[in-house]
Amino acid sequence: MRNIKPIISSLLRSKSGPVLLLTQIVLSVAIVANASFIISERLALIDRPSGIAEAQVLSFRVYNFDPAMDLRKQNQQDQLILRDLPGVIAATSTNMVPLSGSGWGDRYVDGPDPETAKSLPGFSFYMGNEHMLNTFGVKLVEGRNFYPEEIKMGPAAKSQTALITKSIAEAHWGDESPLGKVVYQQDIAITIVGVIERLQGAWVDSSNFEYSVIQAVDFGGAMSSTTYLVRAKPQDIAQLKLDIPKALHLENPNRVIDEFYTVAEHRGHSYSNHELMAALLSVMIVLLLLITSLGLTGMVMFNIQRRTKQIGTRRALGARKADIVWYFLTENYVICAAGAVIGVVAASQLGQQLMNHYSLPQLAWQYPAVTVLGLFVVTTLAVILPARRAADIPPSLATRSV
Amino acid sequence: MFFYYLDMGWRSIRKTPVLSALMVLAISIGIGITITSLNIYQVMAFNPAAERSDQLHAVQLWSQGPDTWDDYSTIITYQDAMHLRTGAIPRAQAAMFRTGQAIQSDNPDVLPELRSVRVTDSGFFSLFSVPFLHGGAWTEVVDQQPAYEIVIGKAVSQKYFGKVNSVGEVLYLNRKPYQVVGVIDDWNPSPKYYDPTNGSFNDAESLFVPFSLAPVEEFAVWGNTNGWQFEPMVTYGDRLVSEKSWVLFWADLADEQAREDYRAWIQSYIEQQQEMGRFTDTAKADVQLADVAKWLEVNKVLRKDNKILVALSALFLCVCLVNILGLLLTKFLKRAPEVGVRRAIGASRRQIFAQHMVEVTLIGLLGGALGLLWAWGLLHVLTERFHMDDALTRLDATLWFITPSIAMGAALLAGLYPAWVICRTQPSVYLKSQ
Repeated sequence: MRNIKPIISSLLRSKSGPVLLLTQIVLSVAIVANASFIISERLALIDRPSGIAEAQVLSFRVYNFDPAMDLRKQNQQDQLILRDLPGVIAATSTNMVPLSGSGWGDRYVDGPDPETAKSLPGFSFYMGNEHMLNTFGVKLVEGRNFYPEEIKMGPAAKSQTALITKSIAEAHWGDESPLGKVVYQQDIAITIVGVIERLQGAWVDSSNFEYSVIQAVDFGGAMSSTTYLVRAKPQDIAQLKLDIPKALHLENPNRVIDEFYTVAEHRGHSYSNHELMAALLSVMIVLLLLITSLGLTGMVMFNIQRRTKQIGTRRALGARKADIVWYFLTENYVICAAGAVIGVVAASQLGQQLMNHYSLPQLAWQYPAVTVLGLFVVTTLAVILPARRAADIPPSLATRSV
Repeated sequence: MFFYYLDMGWRSIRKTPVLSALMVLAISIGIGITITSLNIYQVMAFNPAAERSDQLHAVQLWSQGPDTWDDYSTIITYQDAMHLRTGAIPRAQAAMFRTGQAIQSDNPDVLPELRSVRVTDSGFFSLFSVPFLHGGAWTEVVDQQPAYEIVIGKAVSQKYFGKVNSVGEVLYLNRKPYQVVGVIDDWNPSPKYYDPTNGSFNDAESLFVPFSLAPVEEFAVWGNTNGWQFEPMVTYGDRLVSEKSWVLFWADLADEQAREDYRAWIQSYIEQQQEMGRFTDTAKADVQLADVAKWLEVNKVLRKDNKILVALSALFLCVCLVNILGLLLTKFLKRAPEVGVRRAIGASRRQIFAQHMVEVTLIGLLGGALGLLWAWGLLHVLTERFHMDDALTRLDATLWFITPSIAMGAALLAGLYPAWVICRTQPSVYLKSQ
């Protein structure tokens, strides 16, 4: 570091080259810091556990178009058939499929009088029978599952039971146990009989994604199309996709059975936009670093050619090879340090803009910091290769051409 | 002279292959990234209604109670839609929603299949300029008095009847016979602006049945049903008289006068309804007429992510530009002695400048071509990897034109300063040192 002074003065005299490098580093820090921040934010979203045995839960739709069919009865019959199929662990009708992007949302209030009652947070509203808990593979942490005789045939029955997620209970009652509490939808009273550790809803971008309720209603047969959920070991799923339509068509051929997707597949679709964003930005970061380092290598190589005589002279006057390499590295670090300072400011400015215009969260300070560190490493690599070649310039070169 | 410069440029590029390759690579990657995000942006921001964009209006009503929804709903209630259908001001109008039906024909070889069906009025086809091949829409009488008539797409006609002109044939929906009255050509506006509810880039339906059949056939709603108060809908009749929103309504309003008249007409309807105890949010109860551009915005067809990507890739391109600028400066300065000689034997500054700009343009063109290849590859990988809609990743035709322009423009911008520096070379300096 002892020769830092002459390096700075030489940098100041040859304006354009270092200025360009500086600009590039400033822009790189700004882009990479913000891009990696967005990436990590998206990956954190995707990583949230759903609470469900995703790879084991298969959803499909049965569309009945036989006008003579009693839909309610058929629904009960179909569920019995499904549970009898080899490989099926559990099966239920449902009104919505987790992580699928379409479903039901609703809200409870905590008292019968609409004037004084307080509202619970909005939630994803599952309707299912006593088999739903086991079909999802979610964990009950308090209370009990539904009894078969509790299951209602429609959402309008006056007195009902429900399971809610721990997240809802905590949001509304804090540490108090929600078991036995009665909540209301207009004049329908719903008793909470159990608490589920974790169950996500249908919309991955919803702020109420972690809030879910299962109400003891067998929704199947309410309309001509009914959705079913079947749980099986992942290796049995492929066979079930063939067995299920066969078995149900045997019962009654007047229906269309399709849209077979596991919850894991729904997850893939629902998060594909976020994955796409993360992937595109990663590509951008890698290419950016590549371009910056290649450009830097190119410029250092040129500088060495221009300074061949100068380097030879220094070597002849006693500079060691390491001194020459250090010269170029120091030069790089001086520019990098200046670039880092301005770059961090630019990064937070860009972050501010993105926050204002596209409602992104505030850029965390770690991202510019790590980016700067990364740039020091990358540029070191980019400089060290040509600099070592420069160190190999023989001292005789300086004397020869004089 | 131009071709001479071109030749010199090409020689110069070949003389420093590594440096030139670096520059072409840098510009191509910058262009590749920019074009990729620009392409996705352009497809999403596309307004398929073109010159009809400011005439077609989706009708949105503030029918919710106070302190419930913060925005106009994109869909309206059935009872409001039924009243709007009596309006005389629009040149064409249609209520609509999506349903699904099991389709069969008398041809026993074709298995029944479930397909989405658009339930709408005869005005739909003129509103959205749907191209008919044979026959046409059902008559306006059918909009009032339900009849089992259907308009189908070319592909459906081919599949179930083995011919394009199937007018007069019978198609079964949920085992009910419908008479085919019209066959339309392939029609698939992207974004699916007439109903972006279940995905703005889904395919358009190819089966259309009269809206007047809805209360008779009780078509299930394959779209959103939004409610702001609890109303258990046990029967289809409950749905028809409820405050739940689930119908889209479009009107063709030719000019500002028509829009004003229409707004006033709806306003008087709202006031009349208020007397009957509906539209209870008196401060805000109103109508919003969204033309197509506004409608796409309301439905957030263009995601924020796309804007971020375009912004970041524009910055990325800037980095590439600065990079190239540095490399060009390096390269040109290396050639200063040669330029000194050229200047000494009579080349003017302007000629030196032009010569170098031609070389830079050549590099830009090469980079642009390579960049287009990158973008094409990247879009393909994205479609494969993320099951993205083909419409989103197809390279837009205009980009074949825009890309080389951006590439050359970028290269010229980057080359301006280096070329200016080099053309100011003092011949004497280099002649002396020879």
